[in-house]
Amino acid sequence: MTQQTGRIDDFGMDTISLAGPLPAKLRAIREAGFSQVMLSARDLVGHAEGVEAAITAVRASGLRVTGFQVLRDFEGLSGQLHEYKVDIAKSMLDLCAAVGAKVLLVCSSTSSHATADRDAIARDLRKLAMLAIPRGIRVAYEALSWGRSIEEFPAAWDVIMRADMPNLGLGLDSFHMFATKTSLDELQWLDPERIFLVQLADFMWQEIRSVEERIATARHFRVFPGEGAHSDQVAQLVSRLHAQGYRGDYSFEVFNDDYQQIPLADVARRARKAADWLGEGILRRSVPLPNSMRLQALG
Amino acid sequence: MTSPTLARELHADDSDPVGLDGIEFIEYATPRPQALGQVLETMGFRPIARHRSREVTLYRQGEMNVVVNASAAAPVDSDGELDESPRIAAIALRVRDAAAAYRHVLDLGAWAVPTHVEVMELNIPAIHGVGGSRIYFVDRHREFSIYDVDFTAIPTVDQKPPALAGMHWFGIVQYIGNDRMQDWTAFYSMLFGFSVLPDDQRFGVMPKGRVLVGPGGLRSRFYVQLIEPEPGILDAKGTEWIARIGLGTPDPRACATLLRERGMQFAETPHVHTDERGALTRTQLGSVVFELVRDA
Repeated sequence: MTQQTGRIDDFGMDTISLAGPLPAKLRAIREAGFSQVMLSARDLVGHAEGVEAAITAVRASGLRVTGFQVLRDFEGLSGQLHEYKVDIAKSMLDLCAAVGAKVLLVCSSTSSHATADRDAIARDLRKLAMLAIPRGIRVAYEALSWGRSIEEFPAAWDVIMRADMPNLGLGLDSFHMFATKTSLDELQWLDPERIFLVQLADFMWQEIRSVEERIATARHFRVFPGEGAHSDQVAQLVSRLHAQGYRGDYSFEVFNDDYQQIPLADVARRARKAADWLGEGILRRSVPLPNSMRLQALG
Repeated sequence: MTSPTLARELHADDSDPVGLDGIEFIEYATPRPQALGQVLETMGFRPIARHRSREVTLYRQGEMNVVVNASAAAPVDSDGELDESPRIAAIALRVRDAAAAYRHVLDLGAWAVPTHVEVMELNIPAIHGVGGSRIYFVDRHREFSIYDVDFTAIPTVDQKPPALAGMHWFGIVQYIGNDRMQDWTAFYSMLFGFSVLPDDQRFGVMPKGRVLVGPGGLRSRFYVQLIEPEPGILDAKGTEWIARIGLGTPDPRACATLLRERGMQFAETPHVHTDERGALTRTQLGSVVFELVRDA
């Protein structure tokens, strides 16, 4: 393993950044030199030959699955709505396990039916984490910047602490942090062991003025780190997380309508450029020593 | 969501949320039930009843019931081969109120296992445990035998064969994946009220990992031992399963001697050997191991 491959291995692409069928996306990601992929449930269930074929394609790709997204509007509901969402969560956890994903991404609720009571939110997340335990899956809870009551990561962290489950942690998304202008100083209160996923993306303008614009930007106009207006903040975020001890994965969570209209290889190349900038220019993580970990024989 | 009536009951004792009262039975699944039956008989269990409609046999000694289920399909391993070695497929817990316990753990995030009950069969509520295993809830075990409904006694066989050397359930040993100690501790402690034993408190000759102790009185209390892969080994498959059963006995040496006379072999290596604390059988049929632990 060279120094360079050691760094690229810290980063992964998300299938949502690419157009086309799943096998083409996986191929483009691998051919750009990435070793991991964040999977969108839609890409699996929408596979032309069915979910089983999608799972086979992922396993055959050789790419490690960073995580699986996304469970929405899960927490804070009651009665039938809650039961319904528990069923949806179970289906997603089954898919997660089938495809070898160790992390399920959960976005904070935007539902007007959901309570803002943090203890109730924590109780539901605790239940979700319990559902995930037999499947060996960790739940990364992310503050969506237009979430109904949890819209910044310190609030997400608060309910994670209240829920107090070992497999429930934080999913950080740089887009939402920049959109809400949450101070990076807040990172100091986090336990790096409980950050289960960091998603990186930027956007092209300095400020987002309304919630509507925030949603539109998040869904259509994100760009890879290094391509947007907040490169310094992305660099700071990654440096701070590293200084605090975060050694987990970085995934590029880039929703962009333009990227849906250009060849997959071109998009993957842009992602690779972002990984090289962050990995070699900013992060400079050391690679694991050879033979420091033995892999149990795959029997 | 916990119903108000249930909440009143459960809040009565947070440390013992389901009223755990020991193990009712342990179920093995195997496509070769006679081979496993021989191993069980060597260990002192006797076949006493057969299921009315399925290829399932009930073995018993003393307070311990073992169900051998040959009607379940053998699981397929990662290479697509049938894995025919016996596996511990279920543990049935005695609880205060099975329906209440079931609702309680589902409220907290346990997975319900759909049951396929035939006519006149008992519907025993179950949840998913480790690997593909299940955890059943059984109540009213003192009032009537759950086996009377689904099983037919084997004629002329003593239905209550005494336990050899005072053997009784002591616990289970569960193998877990890397970094899974906290997860499984949360599972057993939150759902059933297990607590972590201090590291210097160990039983038997296999002290690795973490030991959880269940709530309830000394008579029915049992232990769950969680064992991670060796440090420095990354278990890429992350397979998790119930590796063996622990049997309590007042005198493990005497018990091992008795079982040797019946044909059971015990591990005698520099690392593991029979002594006054306990003993470990050699692996039978590729997967079946019993551990003896000193316990009055």
